[in-house]
Amino acid sequence: MLETLGIHFPSLAIYLVNFLLVLILLYLFAYKPILKLMDQRADRIRESLEASERAREEAASSQAAVQEQVTEARREGQRIIDLARESAERFRTEEMDKARQEAESFVERAKSDIQRERDNALAEVRASFGDLAITAAERVIRRSLDRQAHEELISQVLEEGESLRRT
Amino acid sequence: MGSGAGKYIALGLIFVLALSIAGLITGAIGAGLTQSEEAKDAGETAEGPFIPKPEVHLPAQVVFPTSDREHYQAFLNAEEQEKAHGEESLTREQHEIIDEGPYQGSNFIVTNAILSSWVASILLVLLFVLGARKAALVPGRFQNFVEIAIEGLLNFVEAVVGKERSRLVFPVIATIFLFVIINAWIGLLPIYPSLGFKQGDIIQVHLLRPAGTDINMPLALALVSFVFVEYLGLKILGFGYITKFVRVGSLKHGIASLFRLQFLDAFQGLLDFFFVGPLEAFSELVRLISFTFRLFGNMTAGEILVLVSAFLVPFVATVGVYGLELLVGFIQALIFSGLTLVFAAIAITSHDAHEESHSA
Repeated sequence: MLETLGIHFPSLAIYLVNFLLVLILLYLFAYKPILKLMDQRADRIRESLEASERAREEAASSQAAVQEQVTEARREGQRIIDLARESAERFRTEEMDKARQEAESFVERAKSDIQRERDNALAEVRASFGDLAITAAERVIRRSLDRQAHEELISQVLEEGESLRRT
Repeated sequence: MGSGAGKYIALGLIFVLALSIAGLITGAIGAGLTQSEEAKDAGETAEGPFIPKPEVHLPAQVVFPTSDREHYQAFLNAEEQEKAHGEESLTREQHEIIDEGPYQGSNFIVTNAILSSWVASILLVLLFVLGARKAALVPGRFQNFVEIAIEGLLNFVEAVVGKERSRLVFPVIATIFLFVIINAWIGLLPIYPSLGFKQGDIIQVHLLRPAGTDINMPLALALVSFVFVEYLGLKILGFGYITKFVRVGSLKHGIASLFRLQFLDAFQGLLDFFFVGPLEAFSELVRLISFTFRLFGNMTAGEILVLVSAFLVPFVATVGVYGLELLVGFIQALIFSGLTLVFAAIAITSHDAHEESHSA
């Protein structure tokens, strides 16, 4: 029965050894290195994918940071400009006030000076007028009282007073 | 361009047509049409001028050592003589040879199928070892081919047993696939039918013959597959694997039910122990036979189909059969490795888990 089918135990053994040998050789020299390599490659691809993902995230976050900084700087700049404008404004008003005050005080002083000068001049005039009146009166009294002499005398006095005032 | 291509197609068609006609005329079909009435009445087979009537020997033929081959050839001649002229025409020596059978005793002999399996094995190992020798992260073309083959098989294995157990099963499954496919395909090389030891004009003993057509090769693979599956089951499940065949739990349950006078449960338990368990074991053994004869039958039928098609219509019919045989070789390799894989997957799945999923 086995013979007619061609089953032959030595041949069977040869095939078994043959197959197992092929299995061992392929396992050691083909499957093992290739599978290892494929795993390595898969690891590598996974790693590089992760790295690129990480890099992408980092880029995104750093861009956000840069944006933040730019906004911050802009705000800071605006603040500084506002500050400068404000202080300039204050300075200007202060300076103007000061100038006005100075001008006012200067005018005030000038006015008071003028007042004083006038008072002095008036007092002087008044004093010299008294002297003149007294002199004129003396002359009138010494001379005879005629009308023409009077008038001449008065105008003389006035002229003297006039010339006196001019000096 | 278009008219040029059309010209070539027309030429090709004419060529194929001419070959078909030549094949029909010179083949057995043409010879049968022109055969004389007397020859037909005598029951002779019509033979074309190029291809002799193919002879099919189910057992593989002995090639080496020479003394065994001579014995085998003497055996073939004696058998033929017996068929043609009756048992009385045989000499005493020839009787002895026939009684001894085609193979002398139980020596280690090299049959043409064994020789072919060696050639195929060397080719396979060379192909893969050279492809994997300078394994680099960035593969060359040759390495790429080997990687595609291995990766495809690995995906196949992973799809059935899952990723974590795939590495355990992969080497055997992949080797079975590659061994079967290369042994099937190598037999399609034209040197296979044309090399051999002649007697007279025809080749009596072929030097090479596809290993799948020798029943010992499928049987050896079936044994490997069987041992592998049982080994995996025992390794992964341990004693639990044996309870698949010797259903101690069911026996206990059955006896306990018997004492509680629950006869239906008792019957079920005892049936499970005495019938289902042995049936499981038997089915494991039957796989050996189905594995063997599936591959053997397909390879042998393919070989015979090639011979017959070449005999009936030379030049043309064989082309179609070759295409078919390429497909059959691939499918048989896939089936052999795939079934082993599935049986392994079943063997390493816990019986209890299976039961639970069954009842759920």
